[in-house]
Amino acid sequence: MAAARSAGRTRDIRLAYLLLAPTLLLLLTTLAYPIGWEIWTSFTDLSPLKDGSAEFVGLTNYGRLLGDPEFWRAALVTVVYAIITSVAKLALGLGFALLLARPFRGRALVFLAIFIPWAYPAGVSVIGWYWTLSPPTTTAYAPAMGHLKHLVDGTFGTGAWAFTSIILFNIWRGSSFIGVLLLAGINAIPPELFECALLESKSRWRRFRLVTVPLLRPFLALAVFLSLTGAFADLANVWMLTAGRIVFPVIGTHAYVLAVKAGQYGPASALALTLVPFLLAILLVLFRLFDPPRREAT
Amino acid sequence: MSPRPWWAKLGHGSLILVATVYCLFPIYFMLVQSLKTPAEDVFGNPFIVVNPTLENFQELFQREGEVRGFVGRALRRSYPFLDWLVNTLVVFAGSVTATVVASVAAGYALGRLRPPGFQWWRRAIFATYIVPQTILFIPLYQVVSALGLDDNMLALLLIYPTMALPFCVWMLSGYFQQLPREVEEAALIEGASRAGAFFRIVLPMSRPVLVAAGIFTLGIVASDFMIASVFLLTPHNQTITAGLGTFDVALDELAAVAGVNLLAIPVVTISAVFARGFVRGLTASMVEGA
Repeated sequence: MAAARSAGRTRDIRLAYLLLAPTLLLLLTTLAYPIGWEIWTSFTDLSPLKDGSAEFVGLTNYGRLLGDPEFWRAALVTVVYAIITSVAKLALGLGFALLLARPFRGRALVFLAIFIPWAYPAGVSVIGWYWTLSPPTTTAYAPAMGHLKHLVDGTFGTGAWAFTSIILFNIWRGSSFIGVLLLAGINAIPPELFECALLESKSRWRRFRLVTVPLLRPFLALAVFLSLTGAFADLANVWMLTAGRIVFPVIGTHAYVLAVKAGQYGPASALALTLVPFLLAILLVLFRLFDPPRREAT
Repeated sequence: MSPRPWWAKLGHGSLILVATVYCLFPIYFMLVQSLKTPAEDVFGNPFIVVNPTLENFQELFQREGEVRGFVGRALRRSYPFLDWLVNTLVVFAGSVTATVVASVAAGYALGRLRPPGFQWWRRAIFATYIVPQTILFIPLYQVVSALGLDDNMLALLLIYPTMALPFCVWMLSGYFQQLPREVEEAALIEGASRAGAFFRIVLPMSRPVLVAAGIFTLGIVASDFMIASVFLLTPHNQTITAGLGTFDVALDELAAVAGVNLLAIPVVTISAVFARGFVRGLTASMVEGA
């Protein structure tokens, strides 16, 4: 009996590895190899513009980055971008979720309205946003947008309008997803708990802080994680909404220009990899919050 | 609960109104622009369309090589939009299918079969989410050309699933871990094989979670812009996203906005149909015993 069970277990384990194979194969080819290549390249002076094989240069690329004011500027912009958008997305998303948590007439339609900015394909909606915010001069609303652009740029410096539009777009789309994610979290809270809380405390804020937030914790952590990783690595939105005229470079665009346009693979790899420790730190902090709180027997 | 006072109702109602307008206005605006004639685009009111026309949409489908006319001295090219549409459908449907199948397999393996160290596998796979493909262009390009997929939409079918897999595997393995074992055991006792029990019982009851994984993948795939434009260069091989990126803003604003809508309408419709399932699936996968 025990032997049969352990034979079954061996078979299960073998089946498990078989089922994992496609996922692991995909991750190896399109993620593990590229990351390995980037790490190796970041220690060399590899470039398609240079004859001969790449030479190992140790930490030179990283050292040069640390001394480069452009890098610090890009890093600062990236951090500011990630924090502003994440805070705003989380606040708006939580608002959406709480708004939808209680039944009211037409709730299904409002839910769809809130869901749609995320569902709307961002690969093209970003094109639409770009032309809305920076329209061709012939369009009827071009003068109005032009005024707005000059006003913002005049107050905060050149490029501020472009940067604002990136932030607005990111928040618009991201708050939609976080709203839906947190709504899924609120739906998971058993209604009895809210009723108990209602008896315990009259203060709505206390109920929110002591009941809703702890029960939503895994969802909130996931939302913060997805939002921060998305923003740190963002390149497409910044690129598209400024039509490649990068006034406020983020790490992603900086690395792209360095690698694809300038052919400096070594420094570009080092630059791209500076994101990884940040993201890893975020992951480690949030990992413990992901798993749902164990419900003790009550 | 006591009935809420009128000001609370009013506040709630106006919050709902503001949220709805905030979410839908940009989409409405793009839709309105795409329905305009060039004359109305220049002289009309930006927020409404008086004489809606589908000519911008028709223009997209004009056969290639046909001259669409001139603006000043600039020739307005026509685009192989029909090819883009087909390519996009293949890439989107293919990536979603591949991702859902691969993540169901991996999720079942980690959540139910539980090989040694399955929790670490699960975490490691999720952790790969932090590596953005968009900073890996050069080595990704090496992989793609080593496989002979240069300028081929199959390259996207290779890259896109990896962008959604970490999250989907995390979600599905969590879900299978929580699914009561009795569900399957009952079928096994009645003589069904493991595969039979899986396909006839486990899979049908997991529909919301599969929908959640599929819609999430669709959202990720449809949001990519950089990878499509970097890896697909010949017009005939491009997807709508990559193709629209090559439009000349000044000359083709209206046609491009029409193209945006043409891709958005089917994607949004599919997502909207499954929206409720998406929420239920997210709930089911994250919460113990749900």
